[in-house]
Amino acid sequence: MGFKESCFKKSLWVFHLSVGSCNNCDIEILDLLTPRFDVERFGMKLVGSIRHADVLLVTGIVTKKTKPRLLEVYAQAPKPIIVIAIGACPCTGGIFASGYNFAGPLDKVIPVDAYVPGCPPKPEAMIAGVVKLLKAKGKQ
Amino acid sequence: MGKKTIVPIGPYHPLLEEPEFFKLYCDGEIVVDMEWETGYNHRGIEKICESKTFEQVFYVVERICGICSTSHPFAYANAIESIPGVEIPLRAKLIRSVVGELERIHSHLLWVGLAGHFLGYNTVFMWAWKYREPVLDMFEIITGNRNSYAMFTIGGVRRDIDQEKADQLLKVLDDVQKKNDLLVGAVMDDPVIHARLKGVGTLTAKDIHDFGAVGPTARASGVDIDVRRDDPYAAYDLVKWKVITAKEGDVFAKAEVRLLETYESISIIRQCLELLKKEKEGEIKTKVKEIPPGLGIGHAEAPRGEVFHFVKSDGSNSPVRHKIRAPSYTCIPTFRKSCVGGTISDAAICTAAVDPCYCCTERMTQVYDHRTGKRVMNAAELIKLSQLKTEEVREKMGL
Amino acid sequence: MNIEQYIQELRERFPGIKDTEVVNQKRLMIHIPATLLQEITNYWFNDLQYRYIIVSAIDSKEGYEIIYHYSDDNTGWIMNLNVLLPHDQPEIESMTSVVYGIEWIEREIMDILGIKFLNHPKPERFLFSEDWPEGEYPYRRKFRQEDR
Repeated sequence: MGFKESCFKKSLWVFHLSVGSCNNCDIEILDLLTPRFDVERFGMKLVGSIRHADVLLVTGIVTKKTKPRLLEVYAQAPKPIIVIAIGACPCTGGIFASGYNFAGPLDKVIPVDAYVPGCPPKPEAMIAGVVKLLKAKGKQ
Repeated sequence: MGKKTIVPIGPYHPLLEEPEFFKLYCDGEIVVDMEWETGYNHRGIEKICESKTFEQVFYVVERICGICSTSHPFAYANAIESIPGVEIPLRAKLIRSVVGELERIHSHLLWVGLAGHFLGYNTVFMWAWKYREPVLDMFEIITGNRNSYAMFTIGGVRRDIDQEKADQLLKVLDDVQKKNDLLVGAVMDDPVIHARLKGVGTLTAKDIHDFGAVGPTARASGVDIDVRRDDPYAAYDLVKWKVITAKEGDVFAKAEVRLLETYESISIIRQCLELLKKEKEGEIKTKVKEIPPGLGIGHAEAPRGEVFHFVKSDGSNSPVRHKIRAPSYTCIPTFRKSCVGGTISDAAICTAAVDPCYCCTERMTQVYDHRTGKRVMNAAELIKLSQLKTEEVREKMGL
Repeated sequence: MNIEQYIQELRERFPGIKDTEVVNQKRLMIHIPATLLQEITNYWFNDLQYRYIIVSAIDSKEGYEIIYHYSDDNTGWIMNLNVLLPHDQPEIESMTSVVYGIEWIEREIMDILGIKFLNHPKPERFLFSEDWPEGEYPYRRKFRQEDR
């Protein structure tokens, strides 16, 4: 296991970016902090700046107006960074894919490491997604 | 003396640096102007609805906002069913009201948590969101999902609430009522919160009228409007409840209105479940063969205020035009009156008081010095400023 | 609320009203020429204190319909003003001088349909990004996804 992978073994600092969502997924992500799911006991922390983050959680569809901002945030992110697409919107666009303001599913804009589908995905599904991803990275 | 620099000290909340949504122009400590840049969330939903059938539109409008997930289908159902003038069965009316009021409870609890966080009361945030969980569990039991319920259909609802689920719901409501008592006590009686929220972000009845603001924002300023009473729909004219108003129009009044409304919602649900029990069995849906040409104008009272839907049908399967107006559209511009003239440390709580969709408040505020035009701080720093002010107030009071 | 009496009084006060229609239960639609808009808006919003809801805009065969929605909360009626603009001259006076809060929706309609609101205090882009092509109005009926 290389240096990069060992970085992700311990606690993860997560940055949440919504590029054009309906807030369902955002609320469920915040729910992860609250006493029922309490991801802080795993060492996962939500941070306020992309520069401190190990993981970038993206929700919502990429709209034409947020696309440049998304690219900016991704450029500022310290590499290596794990990108997780939460919800149906960044995975494929969901029901908004036929809209005129749709700027492509997330993986056409930035590289994505994991997809957690659902509308919204349950908090348990999000945790499961992150765990699966870490296990997969650990095997490499 | 123009600029102020704030060093961000580890915010404990997911916030975004960009993109800008609100620009607050400040002169030293005082906010002098507010501008709103929007379109980031613009998904072209009204246009998407034109390519879906009337039935499919329910699933699209549910996802306009995750917190008011039921209110948009509610208003849309009121609009679309008014075109053929269909009367839905009693059971459907009651179930619709139950889901609508449950949503109001979960939304107000969410707001209390967020307001608590903005003020620096993170325990309130954790409590409120923890007490929300049983409500979301009940949603999952009744509708199949914690959010985005897909309960509504043209002519009625898609799922019934049997007696077993109703009994579970009654138990959860008892619990929520007790927890709401705790939150009311924590918020209403705290002298620091009085100091922070009273007299802050005041909107007069004339301001409300000028902007067309609705919901708790309007009711806190003494404007007695509520769609459920003014133009009753579903089961709201079959049960007894009252509209909560306050006079002062400041942030404290808005908090008070929301907290007390939760009790009314609990009472409405209890009465609806009683009526459902009496009704025992019945249809939950009226068959509607087609939607004739015409105009459907419908509205519903969401947790944030009146949601308005306007549908034009030409006899085909899809709407020709579907205009949607969420309550925040007329409530957010009121920041121009409530924030301007106040200090920046109050700006965060003023914007939260109107309860715009969570995503809206969090990622959008940027503060600019109005003389140099330079950006001074972002949303995270603004919230931190608000939390620091609470500390100062607490120290001054010797608590 | 006696709607026939209300309509009669309104017609007497504003003889320029073209047509009135009770659309559904408690929904009234009044078709007026653009010249009458400011007067009736002032009467409804300031004198009768109706609540401003929103403005809808439709691209119909006959022209652009701009529909102003107001609510009479005392009776539960929703009152609607319908102004028809010709396709070749989509211009109308802005109502921001009467209804303060109408500013945003007029900017939105400018973006999505290309209607020009004269004397608007801030006729800037509202919804679309800076690089959205000028002259592209997605809600006009000629607009097709395939043409983009």
